[in-house]
Amino acid sequence: MDQTPSWLVEELERRGVSRRDFLGFCGVMSTALALPTSAGAKIADAIERKEKPTLVWLEFQDCAGNTESFLRAGRPTVADIVLDTLSVDYHETIMAAAGHRAEEALAGVVADKPGGYIAVVEGSIPTGANGAYCTIGGRAAIDIAREVCGNALATIAIGTCAAFGGLPAAAPNPTGALSVADAVPGVKNLINLPACPANADNLVAVIVYYLTFNRLPPLDAYKRPLFAYGKTIHDNCERRAHYDAGQYVENWGDDGHRTGYCLYKMGCKGPVSYQNCPNVGWNEGTNWPIGCGHGCIGCAEPDFWDQMTPFYSHLAGVPGFGLHSKVDRVGIWATAGVAAAFAAHGLVQLGKRSFRERTYVKAAAPERPAAEEKGDQA
Amino acid sequence: MKITPRPAPAEEICLAKVYVWELPVRLTHWLIATSIAVLAVTGFFIGNPSLVSPGQAGNQFVMGYTRLVHFYAAIVFTLSVLARITWMFVGNKYSAWDKFIPARRVRRKGLLPTFKFYSFLLRKPPGFVGHNPLAGLTYCFVFLLYLGTICTGLAMYSASAHVDSPLRFFSFLIPIFGGLQSARWIHHVIMWLLLGFAAHHVYSAVLMSTIEANATIESIFSGFKYVPREDLIFSGYRFVDRHTERGG
Repeated sequence: MDQTPSWLVEELERRGVSRRDFLGFCGVMSTALALPTSAGAKIADAIERKEKPTLVWLEFQDCAGNTESFLRAGRPTVADIVLDTLSVDYHETIMAAAGHRAEEALAGVVADKPGGYIAVVEGSIPTGANGAYCTIGGRAAIDIAREVCGNALATIAIGTCAAFGGLPAAAPNPTGALSVADAVPGVKNLINLPACPANADNLVAVIVYYLTFNRLPPLDAYKRPLFAYGKTIHDNCERRAHYDAGQYVENWGDDGHRTGYCLYKMGCKGPVSYQNCPNVGWNEGTNWPIGCGHGCIGCAEPDFWDQMTPFYSHLAGVPGFGLHSKVDRVGIWATAGVAAAFAAHGLVQLGKRSFRERTYVKAAAPERPAAEEKGDQA
Repeated sequence: MKITPRPAPAEEICLAKVYVWELPVRLTHWLIATSIAVLAVTGFFIGNPSLVSPGQAGNQFVMGYTRLVHFYAAIVFTLSVLARITWMFVGNKYSAWDKFIPARRVRRKGLLPTFKFYSFLLRKPPGFVGHNPLAGLTYCFVFLLYLGTICTGLAMYSASAHVDSPLRFFSFLIPIFGGLQSARWIHHVIMWLLLGFAAHHVYSAVLMSTIEANATIESIFSGFKYVPREDLIFSGYRFVDRHTERGG
């Protein structure tokens, strides 16, 4: 272990961040990780003493939105410094080197520190046309991913594209895009941080957790850290009281919308989406989508482009009746159709019976037939 | 229970009083029916809350109470369905599992004639005492719908269940249904399918009660049907007196 306990302290001093701010950050991190407040001191100790972890950041079929999220700081915070002072040895968007130099840096990390670096993957990995839809330095994305992620200590799939395929993998998935988990079978220590884009605070928290405890945070079935994806947005939403009270926005800009009522009827997917947006917020806690009066679109859920659309409807339509068909309208008509069909059946049955009874009277009643095959053919 | 058979031919038909639906069958039937009614009304409101409650949010709990009623009705529904499925293996022969899945030949052979009766090709339905084979098969699909709606409901409940709640266990169902949003959709569509089934079910019961004049409607209250002796024999059952029917 690197015995330079002050790399972070020096860095903080150089940037004019006080120790009070640093300890405040550690407290916030322990809260974000759902740890007791006393964990703040342990976090501070760990961050100060640990060797800078090496990190490589791969971008494949993406919009660089997670990189933007990662770099989004408006003022220098401790989180930025933790991220900045990570030894980011490779990041196409922000690294100074280019071309062969850049690729050499990546190859050097893989060769020198096998099993000793963290790979962050942004974007989905195409498999169509033998991987030709996304190549870097002449190599297919899937080959790079398998080599880099396969030798990493841990892989963080950041953003919905890397975690679940995202937009490129939405139907009809023209490039055969895959998530990291699917593209690199058997990848070790995978952590998915979905969302479009992922919240940089959650990335920092994962790294802080790793630095503090030397292991990865507990994950859910989709390999998402439970501290950030353990609860639905709905359950932590600041508008939840309006949901339980029965107060909903009915139209954009109506009184309820201006009062801050629940966006449930406007198609908010908060009840079916897991993330800690209501607690952490975006842009340094300034606000978040529902706080701005727009429903959640469920961007952190698997297949969200296919599952969560239409974004402004509670439920998707009925297949064959159009994307915007209303389930309830189809349901009412189907039920009414069933009822009408049976009413017609009943009328026919009644008509036949009254006809038969008249015939019975005329023909002095034959014996009642015993059962099926012997039953009279009508 | 007094029954009035339809105007019958001159010769007397020998009717046997048969104890068909035992108490657990009747009880679960009505618990399932009532809970589905409550679940459909509350569920429809949860999916499309059309009332707007005025005033401060803190003084209202409209959606909260609706969901509460929905969850309690769901507990009644789930336990009734499970009890009825259990009774398929411990109850009398009319409630047994093989009345739903046509595993035996006599049931499979009865499918077509029953269909012919419903489509007016036969005047009289084949004389099965309990469920006719087509109805039994329909209920088999209905039970699958029950299981589908129970599982999607548990999956959705698990998402918001308290951290310590044992119902959190059912979160494993969420990926099986392709996520919570599609679980929601399936749950909603099953409600409509069950309402469509209810329309069919009530009509068929009235129809059978009228055509067979065997007190089908009354039987789900009393348990007894009035069946011509030859139908009993046709169904492959040894005729037994009603006093010994329970054991037979």
